[in-house]
Amino acid sequence: MLLNVIRRLGIFALTVLVASVLVFFLLGVLPGDPARAQLGLQASEEQVQALREQLGVDRPLPVRYLEWVTGFFTGDMGTSYATRSPVGPQVLDALQVSLLLVTGGIVVAVLIALPLGILAAVRHHRPDGMVFSAISQLGISVPNFLAGLLLIAVFAVTLSWLPSGGWAPPNSGIDFFRHLALPALALGLVNGAILARYIRAAVLEVMREDFMRTARAKGLKPGAALLRHGLRNALVPVVTVTSIEFANLIIGAVVIETVFVIPGLGSNLIRAVANRDLVMIQSIVMCVVILVLAVNLLVDLVRPLIDPRLRISS
Amino acid sequence: MRLTRTRQMLTAALAVSALTLGACGAGGEDATVDSDSNGTETNNGEVSDASVSIGMFAVPANLDFTTTGGAAIFEALLYNVYEGLVRIDAEGEIQPLLAESWEISDDGLEYTFNLREGVTFHDGTTFDAEIVKFSLERLDEWSANTPEQLAAVESVEIVDDHEVTVVLSEPDYDALFWLAGPLGAMFSPESIDDLATDANGTGPFEFVTYENAVRMELSRYDDYWGDPAGVAEVELVYYQDASAAANAVRTGGVDAILRSEAYDQLESFEADDSIDVQVGTTQGVVVMAMNDEHEALADPEVRRAIQHAIDKESVLAAATGGYGEILGGPSVPTDPYFIDFSDTYEYDPATAEQMLASAGVEDISLSFNVPNRAYAEASAQVIQDNLAEIGIDVTLDTQEFPAVWVEETMVNQDYDLSVVNHVEPRNMANYANPEYYWGYDSAETQDLFTEAAAATDDQEYVAAMEEVTERIVNDSPGVWLYNPPNVVLSTAGISGLPINDLGVGIDLSDVTVSQ
Repeated sequence: MLLNVIRRLGIFALTVLVASVLVFFLLGVLPGDPARAQLGLQASEEQVQALREQLGVDRPLPVRYLEWVTGFFTGDMGTSYATRSPVGPQVLDALQVSLLLVTGGIVVAVLIALPLGILAAVRHHRPDGMVFSAISQLGISVPNFLAGLLLIAVFAVTLSWLPSGGWAPPNSGIDFFRHLALPALALGLVNGAILARYIRAAVLEVMREDFMRTARAKGLKPGAALLRHGLRNALVPVVTVTSIEFANLIIGAVVIETVFVIPGLGSNLIRAVANRDLVMIQSIVMCVVILVLAVNLLVDLVRPLIDPRLRISS
Repeated sequence: MRLTRTRQMLTAALAVSALTLGACGAGGEDATVDSDSNGTETNNGEVSDASVSIGMFAVPANLDFTTTGGAAIFEALLYNVYEGLVRIDAEGEIQPLLAESWEISDDGLEYTFNLREGVTFHDGTTFDAEIVKFSLERLDEWSANTPEQLAAVESVEIVDDHEVTVVLSEPDYDALFWLAGPLGAMFSPESIDDLATDANGTGPFEFVTYENAVRMELSRYDDYWGDPAGVAEVELVYYQDASAAANAVRTGGVDAILRSEAYDQLESFEADDSIDVQVGTTQGVVVMAMNDEHEALADPEVRRAIQHAIDKESVLAAATGGYGEILGGPSVPTDPYFIDFSDTYEYDPATAEQMLASAGVEDISLSFNVPNRAYAEASAQVIQDNLAEIGIDVTLDTQEFPAVWVEETMVNQDYDLSVVNHVEPRNMANYANPEYYWGYDSAETQDLFTEAAAATDDQEYVAAMEEVTERIVNDSPGVWLYNPPNVVLSTAGISGLPINDLGVGIDLSDVTVSQ
């Protein structure tokens, strides 16, 4: 067990390191000059060259990589070309916002997916079960930015129940939830629909298992059998899928943050790319990579706790 | 529906200003303005504790416009937080600001300014001749926003605490114009190290905070030398998406939006009683450049044929839903030397085809670098269709704007056609620069620009600039498509918003809120 944890941590560290190389050198070939991006269309070539030297972007890539990567892992991510202030605090602020948004999205997704998926499975032969399936199928095919725009049109513009965009920090109480509601819903709806299909499949599979028949045979009603024996077994694939969905949600958040004017990692990333603010882009992408890898690691470590069978094989 | 067409008012104002232009530049005595009126439009004494939030699109990367390009920073800060010796008013005329009056020597080389007394920076520093000298001599250290436009400034001589003489190395009739913009901003020497993160000026608003790319907060400066600002607080809210901003003004998220590009929604806004729609002008010139490195485009007759082939009405309809002004030349309606060239090259495919035939060129195929902006993509598609009609084959190549487009089209000049909105004011001077990506190299034109710069009165200047404009239009290095509108959306009760975008600071001191 302990050996497994160490092995997984080792793989995690190695992946992070490889990712940092990839992130850095792929962004290095991004067309567009960071110095020109700061100085604007009207700047002369001399002015641009002077800034290139000042920013250090005229130095060889390996030198810059080493500087950045040692800085990144010792907590000094450098200074943003555009904002002229340290990258670290800016990324952390944005990360906090994005994590709250993604968490909101996951909560919405699970709240939708669990009942929808279970009902679609339990009643899969009946018309209403098919309707549940159809709803989730429809949900999958709606892009989340469209869901966002529709939610704004209905709940903000037409009904005036909720703000059409913007952000309020968690300590602002009810205002925080008012601002979080629509973007979390937009993010969660689609992913909830996807998750519902996995839950449906997992529950269907479990219902065919021998132990479910045994549970029924010893006198449990279908619902009780499913709750006591079925769901926990169906949970393993669902948790795995949720962790994959987490990566999807972070990517989806990039779009949702733009639609809802939320100052998270996504909107910072889009702006940093437009400004060719390389240190900012690298640090944001790296944070997202680490986040996704960390969630996967966590899921790998948690799965044996849910399903004892996995403990033996690992 | 309440729709104000400020453009018509502007035209009238321009006609008047052409007559009174002499008052604002050449004659020092004439420029002296009674200090009570400050030469600015007042907010009629309506001063309240209200706050107003305004949606904007150009996002400041930081607060230092001396080292960061683009209009986003100075349009928020200039005239609100920072001030210069002179300013440009809503009609595009130069007015006194920190200088009460000025005199220009007969040879056009010395500008002597009488400075306003009792002016303080927000940190308490006193504004005087030393500050002017410090600020203008510091232009050497600017790396962005074209400090070379004031390259003629040789030195600043202090006459006394409240009088300075700016000495030019050669006459430059545009010097006052540039002094009225960001280059003329006055800085306190103590705040120079924090320009990127703080702003300390002499203006009617103090800088409070800037949450990067989210919002900027300004508050009324109580010790301001002039009329106090109409509102106590201004919040500028930054949007990346036109629809998101439009939704915000609809739902009360912001009180107003400047430069809205939600053209598809303007009809519904106009039908909405709770929202005012006002359309003013900008300094933008959307121009399609034609690279004369291409064999066919090197022939002026081919370029003129292309002028006739393009249906600017359709371009405007596609790009802005018909809002804005069709152009035919490189100047905009607020330029003192503006001439309406919109009928010079009429849309006439038959004529265009004939001209191509007589030029003896066939089978032209051109690559068109299109910035990935909605207006540019819409314009390029119309132009592609237009040129197909006269047998010119156009391939569209979309490029990320600004990063890739600037690199490929402006710096490497690797293009046949390209379209972009040049937003900076008086950017016509680039036609005197053969290195510029337009590739326009005409000795006569360059001489005319020099002549205009050496003017010592408005008449001479305007005459020279009109001549140069006519010459450029005749040579047709590009097709000047339209002047984009400045669409201002505001909720009821908000007044005093600047409707015309003059390419300098967006003056918010006259904004008032009636309850």
